[in-house]
Amino acid sequence: MNTLRAVIALLFFPGGLFILFAGMAYEWVDRKLIARFQNRIGPRWFQPLADSIKLLAKEEVIPTDVNAILFVVLPVIALAGALASALYVPIIGLEPSYSFSGDLIVTLYLLSLLTLCTGLAGANTLDRFSLVGATRALTQMFSYEAPVLLALLGPAIVAESWKISVISEYAKSHWLIITQPIGFLVAVIGLMGKLEMPPFDAPEAETEIVAGALTEYSGRGLALFHLGKSVELMVGLTLVTAFYLGGVANPLLFFAKTLMLLVVVAGVQSLLTRLRIEQTVGLWWRYGALLALAQFLVMIAYEGVA
Amino acid sequence: MQSQQGNKFTIPIGPQHPALKEPEHFEFNVDGELVTGASVRLGYVHRGIEKGTENRSFVQSMYLLERVCGICSHVHATAFCLGVERLAEIEAPPRAQAIRVLVAELERIHSHMLWLGVGAHEAGFDTLFMYSWRDRETVLNLLEDITGNRINYSTNVLGGVKCDIDREQAAAIRQGLDFLEERTTHYLDVVTSDMMFLRRTRGVGVMTYDESQRLGAVGPTARASGVARDLRVDAAYAAYDKYPVNLVTETAGDLEARFVVRIKELFESFRVIRAVLDDLPEGDLTTRMPRRVKEGDTISRVEAPRGELFYYIKSNGTDTAERVKVRTPTLPNMASVLTLAVGHQLADMPMILVGIDPCFSCNDRMVSVKGTLDSQCWTWEQLRQYGIEYYR
Amino acid sequence: MSAETALQTASELLEQWAKEATTPEPFRLDVVIEPDDLLAAVKALRDASWGYLSTITGVDLGVEAGEFELLYHFSNGAALATLRVRTPRDNPSVPSVCGIIPTATLYEREIIEMFGISVEGTPNTDRLFLPDDWPDGVYPLRKDYIYDDPTAQA
Repeated sequence: MNTLRAVIALLFFPGGLFILFAGMAYEWVDRKLIARFQNRIGPRWFQPLADSIKLLAKEEVIPTDVNAILFVVLPVIALAGALASALYVPIIGLEPSYSFSGDLIVTLYLLSLLTLCTGLAGANTLDRFSLVGATRALTQMFSYEAPVLLALLGPAIVAESWKISVISEYAKSHWLIITQPIGFLVAVIGLMGKLEMPPFDAPEAETEIVAGALTEYSGRGLALFHLGKSVELMVGLTLVTAFYLGGVANPLLFFAKTLMLLVVVAGVQSLLTRLRIEQTVGLWWRYGALLALAQFLVMIAYEGVA
Repeated sequence: MQSQQGNKFTIPIGPQHPALKEPEHFEFNVDGELVTGASVRLGYVHRGIEKGTENRSFVQSMYLLERVCGICSHVHATAFCLGVERLAEIEAPPRAQAIRVLVAELERIHSHMLWLGVGAHEAGFDTLFMYSWRDRETVLNLLEDITGNRINYSTNVLGGVKCDIDREQAAAIRQGLDFLEERTTHYLDVVTSDMMFLRRTRGVGVMTYDESQRLGAVGPTARASGVARDLRVDAAYAAYDKYPVNLVTETAGDLEARFVVRIKELFESFRVIRAVLDDLPEGDLTTRMPRRVKEGDTISRVEAPRGELFYYIKSNGTDTAERVKVRTPTLPNMASVLTLAVGHQLADMPMILVGIDPCFSCNDRMVSVKGTLDSQCWTWEQLRQYGIEYYR
Repeated sequence: MSAETALQTASELLEQWAKEATTPEPFRLDVVIEPDDLLAAVKALRDASWGYLSTITGVDLGVEAGEFELLYHFSNGAALATLRVRTPRDNPSVPSVCGIIPTATLYEREIIEMFGISVEGTPNTDRLFLPDDWPDGVYPLRKDYIYDDPTAQA
């Protein structure tokens, strides 16, 4: 019985297929919103699905002079990492499928796997755009990772647990966005940095380095990376909503809150100009990290007093 | 690594690259993100137009030269017509000259708005790109209303123009200009106050006054560095002496200044167009043009949206030109890109490249397309409707 | 500086090398000079900050005439000064002005590939406009070049 439950959780719901489709739906909402903000019509609802099917059906070209095994395996690992992370977060307001103390840290690192794989995939090919893209992707990762970790540790500390389920349970009765506004800000912007959304899209700035680290990818590999990113969007939104926006008690609240957050994210994306990579790093270490740290200290001091 | 020679790491931009909407090849040597050298290879859209004019009559050549560039087709035809008219010792009637000015300024608006969008896109500010291109439709519709075409208007004929402005069209233009003026005010506000955008433009790609003089930059690129160089003012052609243009210059010389100069020039264009409409001389549109043109040579220069457009026309007394030399404004400005690139971030390259408003089609201007396409004819409305329906 | 005074200055600057000076149109000054004097004349204009080099035009005067003519156009506001230099068809050669005006390199490369005139001392002689597989020794803007359409039916 337990095995069956595990298989269902892994392959169909809430992990696996469900999260893939939900991720694509969220990606569509994001694209459509940006299009509307920019006075365009935007894609039709099945566009992300159509893109994925098309890419999966296409031939995958493996360039010469690359490590073919790495080239094929990296996108799989990236998607697997994103899918695995979905098992530890309260998707659509349900209890996480798996839970153990310290799963917050594991989830965060599973989420980073995608960026790491993107970087490795870029460095694996000889293409110059990929190399520059890979360098930028990894540089960017090192700049947002620490502040985001600090931002997500904020709720963990007040909930006195490293377990996502305990933190989200605690958050249901506490709107942490009010007590920890800076943490929320850093977490949302960090999520955008993770997903390489504008203005943090320097690693894949099309006008400079074509498609960045993924320039040489086509067909399946590209589809898997894209799906991984959609899943991450969903997981990331869930995490931030569960921690900061008063928790997700039921599916209705879940969709309402995550979609609201998505509207904000899409608005920021269409409002801002792309930052150069050194500006991104500067922004994170000069402001992001310091602000998160400051809030962290205030919190510790407060907790210590209380 | 094969792509590295010595310790140089070369990033190619073009001939196929998303930053460039036209094929051209640039190579940037980079050290990390810093550019240490730049070179250019042109000619991917070389169509042999200069050679083509040598076995076509003046009338045929005019239509050929109009296709040097899609964006600034009118100025090419104007430069050629003014030159040939001068050789033939005729002058187009005042109304024709005024309409030439009017279309040239509408074209300038369309070109600058297009550039504004492209510039914003290169910076990764797609929202401004989408909005400015939406508003550019207004001026394209006006041009279509006057000439029948959105681009390649073919307004000029040797000895005059072929389309007139009636009262309704004049009213439509005024209405369009009012809308555009309001939008342009907004864009000027955006490019000078959006902090994130300024981080990508202010102090980037600075060309000082001296550098600009030394490199022989032309057009808005030079004017953004404080060089007062505008042929509409310096050597007024067509009817620009009747409808004077005020020179717009900035002193900073960076990308922001180039944005500001171009946007302020839009206001100048609005003003000039209104002046033309207010005071459009009555009379004929064309004057008789002899088939053969006297022997001699002439230099005809006009101010294209991108700067000085230079035509050298030599006639040998027949109905065919002996030699037509076209020097488009992108070529002298290209030199400034190659010089400015060194020492900047790779991320700024597309911006600096686009900062001069390059037009590679203009640059190359020389292939004949054979055969006709079997295609069904769609009206503009149908096309637009299809475009909207497709995405519903 | 009005266009008249500018032209006056230019003609004084160029007087010593001028074989012939004409004003074919208002605001234009054409000065015929020897190729050997070209650098000196360009330098004189440059040192006086007289305008900027607009472009270099190559003209093939025809097989019978046996000469090419190069026109160095300098613009200064409305005023235009043109240096005309002739070089024989059988051994066409002019000195490079890149030492004085670095940006002339693009114009000189165009002259080299379109007319086959050797420009001595120019820093870069790579192809600029013509395709990489263009045959050597074929110069499209020469009058004796006839366009042979490779796609034409035999």
